Parts: sequence; structure tokens; C-alpha cells
Amino acid sequence: MLSAYNYKKLFIALLTFFCVNNLGAQPKFTISGTIRDRLTGETMIGVSVKALDSRLINQTTCNEYGFYSLTLPKGDYRIIYSFIGYKSDTLDVKLDSNKKIEREMSENIIELRELVVWAEKRNDNIRRTEIGVERVDIKESAKLPVIFGERDILKTIQLLPGVKSAGEGSSGFYVRGGTEDQNLILLDEASVYNASHLLGFFSTFNSDALKDASIIKGNPPAQYGGRLSSVLDIKMKEGNNHRYSATGGVGLISSRISIEGPIVEDKSSFILSGRRTYADLFLKLTDRFKDNKLYFYDFNAKANVKIDDKNRVFASGYFGRDVLGLGDDFGIDWGNKTGTLRWNSIMGPKLFSNTSLIYSDYNYKISIGGGDSKFNINSEIIDWNIKEEFQYFPDSKNSIRFGLSAIYHKISPSRFEGDGIATREKRSRLSLESAFFVNNNMKISDFLTLDYGIRLSSYTILGGDTYNIYDGGELTGSISLPSGKFGKSYINLEPRIQFSLMLNRNSSIKGGYARNSQNLHLLSNSISTSPTDQWIGNSYNIKPETSDQYSIGYFRNFKEDKYQLSIESYYKELNNQIDYKNGADIGTIADIESELLYGEGRAFGVEFLIKKTTGRLSGWLGYTLSKTERRIEGINNDKWYAAKQDRTHDLTMVAMYQLTKSWSLTGLFVYYTGNAVTFPSGKYTIDNNVIFNYTERNGYRMPSYHRLDIGATYTKQHKGRYESSWNFSLYNAYGRENAYVISFEEDKDDPSKTVAVQTSLFRWIPSFTYNFKF
Amino acid sequence: MKIWDELKKRIIQLTVIVAILSCEKEISINLNSIEPLIVIEGNITDTPGPYFVKISRTVNFSSENNFPAVSNALVIISDDRGLKDTLTEMSPGVYKTNEITGVAENRYYLTVNVEGKNFFAISSMPKKVSLDSLTFSPLIFNPTKDLYYTVPLYTDPVQLGNYYRFYLFVNGEKENSYSVFNDNLNNGLVNGRPLFSRDPGIEKGDTVSVEMHCIDKNVYNYFYALTQLSSGRPGGVTPSNPTSNISGDYALGYFSAHTIQRVTQIVK
Repeated sequence: MLSAYNYKKLFIALLTFFCVNNLGAQPKFTISGTIRDRLTGETMIGVSVKALDSRLINQTTCNEYGFYSLTLPKGDYRIIYSFIGYKSDTLDVKLDSNKKIEREMSENIIELRELVVWAEKRNDNIRRTEIGVERVDIKESAKLPVIFGERDILKTIQLLPGVKSAGEGSSGFYVRGGTEDQNLILLDEASVYNASHLLGFFSTFNSDALKDASIIKGNPPAQYGGRLSSVLDIKMKEGNNHRYSATGGVGLISSRISIEGPIVEDKSSFILSGRRTYADLFLKLTDRFKDNKLYFYDFNAKANVKIDDKNRVFASGYFGRDVLGLGDDFGIDWGNKTGTLRWNSIMGPKLFSNTSLIYSDYNYKISIGGGDSKFNINSEIIDWNIKEEFQYFPDSKNSIRFGLSAIYHKISPSRFEGDGIATREKRSRLSLESAFFVNNNMKISDFLTLDYGIRLSSYTILGGDTYNIYDGGELTGSISLPSGKFGKSYINLEPRIQFSLMLNRNSSIKGGYARNSQNLHLLSNSISTSPTDQWIGNSYNIKPETSDQYSIGYFRNFKEDKYQLSIESYYKELNNQIDYKNGADIGTIADIESELLYGEGRAFGVEFLIKKTTGRLSGWLGYTLSKTERRIEGINNDKWYAAKQDRTHDLTMVAMYQLTKSWSLTGLFVYYTGNAVTFPSGKYTIDNNVIFNYTERNGYRMPSYHRLDIGATYTKQHKGRYESSWNFSLYNAYGRENAYVISFEEDKDDPSKTVAVQTSLFRWIPSFTYNFKF
Repeated sequence: MKIWDELKKRIIQLTVIVAILSCEKEISINLNSIEPLIVIEGNITDTPGPYFVKISRTVNFSSENNFPAVSNALVIISDDRGLKDTLTEMSPGVYKTNEITGVAENRYYLTVNVEGKNFFAISSMPKKVSLDSLTFSPLIFNPTKDLYYTVPLYTDPVQLGNYYRFYLFVNGEKENSYSVFNDNLNNGLVNGRPLFSRDPGIEKGDTVSVEMHCIDKNVYNYFYALTQLSSGRPGGVTPSNPTSNISGDYALGYFSAHTIQRVTQIVK
């Protein structure tokens, strides 16, 4: 292991390497500041800032806290601030000293609003270096039809090429052949370990409380790490600091309300959001299900205080819980809690700092049986995370991020408690996951931009438990680590690089390479997700998962950026992948690690996306051709097999049409190849029962899946501040019976035969929601 | 494990409640056909013989449930005291022992030689754990009828590594399903884990028998994996063939040396 001193040396060396200082003769000055929305006072993410003089255009964008900094030679400049859906803001500046320019921008109110779900400037898609990144406009995506009328950003991102739904109505998703646990889901920087409510049909994210969401499909800049496949970075709203307002909605399944406003005008604000489902109230009306409980609720809260012009403090939190129960003798409840305390500091015109203290907790509890015999199954994961990140803008060409993060994990594996169960010592596994990172975005010329960085991540097992060592499932040794002692460490060096080469104003080529590592793993043996899937950290057997992804893409806009085309291709190799052995006993086994197998994976794909971004009719068409395979020692005779998330074809069509001032129509169509599944080849008899014979892992396919959803939104034109809208939608409009599961069983009519039975879930689900704001 | 299976059943129920509009239908799937495989089912117990070994073959999924018998096999069961019993084919595919007697804490060997293939298996008959009695408790999650589940009362030995298989008989009728328990969670304790009856369920006045087998670890693993296979549903595992204790050429099935005891009680 590297000593602290070596870390420091390496860090300084890296910093020197990354700071490309242009020692020009001409004196240079910096323009910096924060951009806000005029109406709400919220800082704006991604506003483009251009500085024009007679010769050159210098450009930057606001960071995630609305801050920008441009360092330019002394002179006269015209500064243009622009953002999609907002009026451009122009001013002339005589740059003869460092200038601080704070601006507020106003939304562009046009007669017929264009519908845009993906928030970006018109030709940003060509210019940005990032490959495989999309940002969701949370407000506009609300118009898409969704199941039960509950708008959901996790459902919206599943409509992107390269992102696949984990199943009918599921908020789980697979990115570029990765598994569900390989997605890093961040809510105000805090990890969300289970992003689903009600067995996956809803996500934990209440759209009313969210400001921004973006997904990075495998080539993240160095400040992100810890998962192999993607980063979904979600930020909560800060709250209006000018005036009080309320937003809410009433739907078939749930209702929600948000209240926001200033605490001290222009200095501090808050937002509170809550949501609860009431499907269980309907269950109470039925005889059969009247003793059942089935609901979830969640709260989001955030407040921020501007201490002075340079310092701002934020506190945000999330709390959500699911409660499911059948009578008194069976119940599951699970939920996430997160909290973030953040301090933004503008330490100089060129240096921005963000310090965060983050808490995250996910746990579940299952109780079975009543009266004399009662069992509980519990599991919990708690994180404490401290993070320091600097953004340094040395000149107009470079923007550097560097920092470090340390997470203290406390993982309590799933454990049985109750009558007739021998009590075992309760032990939690402790570990420390830390990372240093440095990343630079460098404009080499007007045409070529390079984004490169490195992340050094480490994972150290901390004492307090006994770790067994297995070789092929057989116990070969064990290490008892006393509290306070350090155990094994794993260190990974993760280089990341991306480039964007503009061929002309309308087209570019981008490419990237990224190595990612993952120290926490979700163990799941089920075909679909279940709240009982458990997280486990690296150990003496489990090594960090790693992946190497190579991507290349071609981007082109047509007809003055009205149409945007992108073709991206990726190849990914994954190592130290984990699976349960066949017939693993996960219910009672003392040490789950004895039931694990390890192997590798590979994924390849091509993603096509064509978007129409402006006009009355907008939308997109996405198509992915891909292949995802795994090879695990001990499964499928050690041969490669199709992973369950392998989908050969995946097609998405989304159309939005502004019919009149008040009415807008939406429609979406999805088609994908069925999941790879294991079906029997033949049968035999044991103990007078018919048993199926399985030959090949995932050798069959579910039938292909397709579905059309339609929706309509009526926005009522009110005088004054009151806004309201009605949203109607029909899920699975032509009632396709998509296979949710196929099971093989005895023929009920003729026990001498066996049959395949398909279960389908949702057909023709209508819903409506009333939304308001004042 | 039973709790886990019940849990899965509940999760499925919940999923179905979420999707009240779900529907089921029979479909036809073109499943691969394979060369028939040999299936061996061998048992030896501590009750007086004869004991039987059944040999059959697999059939295609679409075929009827008629499993062809495999005749003319040379089947031998021997023990570690040097006794060797060559089995006689009593009816097609069913072979019976002639002289060997099963004794607890002995090790038994099975060899099968058929159609030029050789199969071997070893199983150790565990020490008998005494099944004392049964208790019955009401099932709460059925509001329409008063139904009961059965708890077999026995004290698990202090030494870790005891495995059990249970068969339930309701009014003399043997249930098709069985349960397997280990002592990972309740080592050394009086058992509190229930046996759940399949349809139609146990009511007051029923005569219930429980047959308890003490089995070895490999046999437990085999039957545990078999119980996992029965669910191809949400929450179910990716199915695979259970790990058999039969080695040599590839065969499906198992060889088990186990003790047997039975307790019968009336539900009051």
C-alpha cells in the first residue's frame, strides 16, 4: 500500500502535470460570477458564457452550482450568456481588472412552447467533449405518458439508447450491458442504494423536488467513481429565494406537494416536498385484500443560506419508506435516508471549492409469522462520506477539477432473528473507501478539446469481523480482524480520457476511454429485483470489479440544428464479476461468501439517436444493437453465455406535438428483444415428481417486448400566478400481452403433460393526474 | 429453506396485487430436444430392507410424463464393512437389494454399470435424531378457513452439520412436496421451523404424519436445489440442475443413505 507521503508526492506531481500554464506577455484578468434564474433565484447549471473580441470566441459553461470563470487577456469583450429556453443576455465589458459579474436570466415565454426533454444548447451536442452523456429536462419530461401517471425520471432515461429497462414497469435499468448495481445513483451527491418503490414500479425520485438530472454512460470524468456502468447524477431544487410558491399533483395512485420560498429574501431559501401513494385504500375496499398494506411515502427537504457573496451553505435530505404487508404475519419494509451538508466557496476569481459531508442509509426488514413463531430478516448499509472538490480555471483554455473523497461504510449483512433461531453475534463489516482525483478539460484549439483525468481509488477493510477465505467454495482459512485494525487494501488507478474533434460547425467526432472500479456489490439470485438483494463489500475473496470501456461517436446536426444525429459505439470488458453458484443456499448459510463464483464479462454495442429538437413536433428515435456476455467459473461449463440484460435490438420512438396553446399530445413506442433466460430441455422423474432438466444458462429468449403509450396534457391558462394542468395517459394502448415471466408446470387439465405458462402484467392502464402551481 | 420459499411466495403475491390486471395464458415454446440422459434414484435406510434403486431416462418437454425404464443394469450397493449386495431387477428399471441392512453412522457405496457407462456414488447414513412429537399452529393468512401448519419437534444435536428431509401425510395421503432443513440457523436448539402443507391444507380433526429422514450434506444440497427449481417465477432463481452426488459418467439423480422415523398425531 502507498504511504500517505507517497500519495502526497503523487498528488503534487499529478497537479503539476495537469496545470498547463500559459505564460503570455499580455496581462490577464478574470471574469467570474454566478448565474441565477430571475423568477426563482435558483442557480443555473450549464449556462453557456461566451466572450467575444474582434478575433476570438472564448467559451465556458457554468458548473453545477451556477459558477463560471473565464480568464482572458486585457481588452474589450462582448459577453453573451445563453441557455435553452431562456432569453440571451448580452453585455460589454472593458476588462482591465478582475471582474465579478452576477446575472439573472429570464425564461423565454413564447406563444407556442416547444417541447424539449433533453436540456442542452442547440449545438452543444457537437461541441462538448463528453461522450455518452444526456441531461434530462425534468419539467418537460413530465409530459411523457407513464404508467399510473406517476412521472419518473428513471422511466425517462430508459428511453435513451444504451439504457434499458429492467422489465415491465420497472424503474431499474441496465446501461450498456451493466447490471443494475453497476449504476451509481446520486441524489445531491449521496448514494441511493435502492432507487425503487413498490417492487420497482416507482422510483424514489419525486420529480417536483428535482432540479437537474444527467446520466453518464460509462465514461465519467475523474470526479465520479465507484460503479462500472453509469453515473446518474440528480440534484434537488434549492427553493425559490424571491417568493413563496407551492407545486403539487393529485393522481390515481398518489399525491404530492412541494412548498418553497425564501427564509430571508435573496439570502436563503427552502423547499419541502412530500409524496404518498394510496393504492392501499382501494385494497381495503376489497374483501380478499383488506388486511394488506401496500404503500410508500417520501420526503425531500433542502435549505440554503448565502453567508456572503463568496460562501453558501446547503443542507438537503431525503427520507423514503415502503411498507408492504399481508395481514399480520408477513411484512417487508425498506427505505433510504440520505443527507448532504455542503459548503460552496468562491475562493478567488479562478478557484471554486465545494466541501460536502454526506450520509446515506439503506435498510430493509422482513417479518414473517405471528403468535408463537416470529422471524425477522434485517440488513443495513450506512455510509459517511466526506468530499472536497476544487475547480480551478487557470485560463480560458483549461478547467481543472481535483479533490478527494473518503467514505466510511458500515454494512450489516442480512441476518435472521427470531424464535427457534440460534442467536449469532451481530457484526457489521466496516470499510474505508477513498479516492483522489484530478481532471482537466482543455481546449487545444477551436476544433479540438481534450478531457483527461485520473482517479486513484482505494478500499480498505477495517477490523471488527472475521473473514473467511474460500478456494472453490471450500474453506481454506480465516482471518480474525480485531476492531481498530486495518485489513486488506485494494488500490485501483483509473485513467480516463475523452476528446472531441469538430469537423465543421455541424459535425464532430468524439472518443473516449475509461477505467472504472467498483468496491460494493449487490448480490442477487433472483430473475427480477427484490428488496432482499443484499450489498456486500470487497473481502479477502471478493475483489473490486473493474471495467475498461472504449467509446467512439459521430455527431451531426442538420437544418440549423433542428435535427441532431448521433452514432455511438462502445466496447467494454469487465473483470471480477460475481454470481451465486447454482443452487446456492442464500437463506440459511452462515457466510454468504462460500456461495459465490467469479468471472468476467464483455459488452459491445452501437447506439443510434436522431432527435428533432424544435418546432411543434419534436421527439426522437433511438436504436441500439448490442451484445452482452458473461463467463463465470462454475456456471454453464465455464463457457460464455448471454447475460440476462443482453438485448440484441432495442428501439424507442418518442413524439410530442403541440396541438394548440393548451393541448399537447405525446406518444411513445418501445420494442426490444426479450431477455436471455434459462428454459428446460427435457424432464425426468425424482420421487414421483416431474423435474426439468436444464442444459444451458440463458440459452433461450423471452418473446420480444413492445408497447405503445399515449398521453395528452391540457394546460389551463389562468390569470396571475396560478398554473394548472391535466395529464391523461394510456399505458400499453394496444394491450400487448408482454411476457413478464414464463413458468413450466404440470398441465392442470391433464397431469400427464407439462405446459409453459406466460404471465403478463399491465395492459391498457389509464391514468390521469391534476397538477397545480401557485 | 422453507421460510425463504414462503417469503418468495409472498413476494409473488404482492407483485400480483400490484398488477391486479395481470393475466396468464398457456403458450407454446420450441424447446430443444436432447439425447436422453440416465436418471438414478437410490436409497438405503435404517429400516429393514429390501431397498430400491430406480433407473430411468429423461424425455422431451413436450412428451407425456412416461419415463422409460432402463433395464439390464449391474447395480451394486456395498458398505465400509466389506458387505457387497448385487441388486436384482424386480420390474423394468427397479432394482432391489437382497441381503444388505442399513445401519446409522455407516457409509454406503453405489455402483451402476449400464450400456457401457459407469456411475458411482457415496452416502453416509447420519446418526438418528429423535423426532419427539408434532405441534400444530393456526395459519393466519387465510381468512376463509381455519387452517394449520405443522412444527416437527426435535432437538438438533450440538454438533453443527445436521440435515433433515420431511414428508407430510394428511389423513394417510402422502403429499407430493417435501421440505429440507439444515441447522445453520438453529444449531443445537429445539426446532421451531414449520412445515407447510400444500392444498387443501390441514384442518382440525385431520390425522397428520410426519416422516423425518436424517440425510447427509450432499443429499441435503441436492434436495435443497430441487426445491429451488420448482419456482421459475419472479423472485425465483435462475434454474440449473442440482449438483448430484453421482460421479463417473454423467447422470441425473442421487443416492441417499438415511434414517427414517415417523410420528402421527391428530390435529386438536
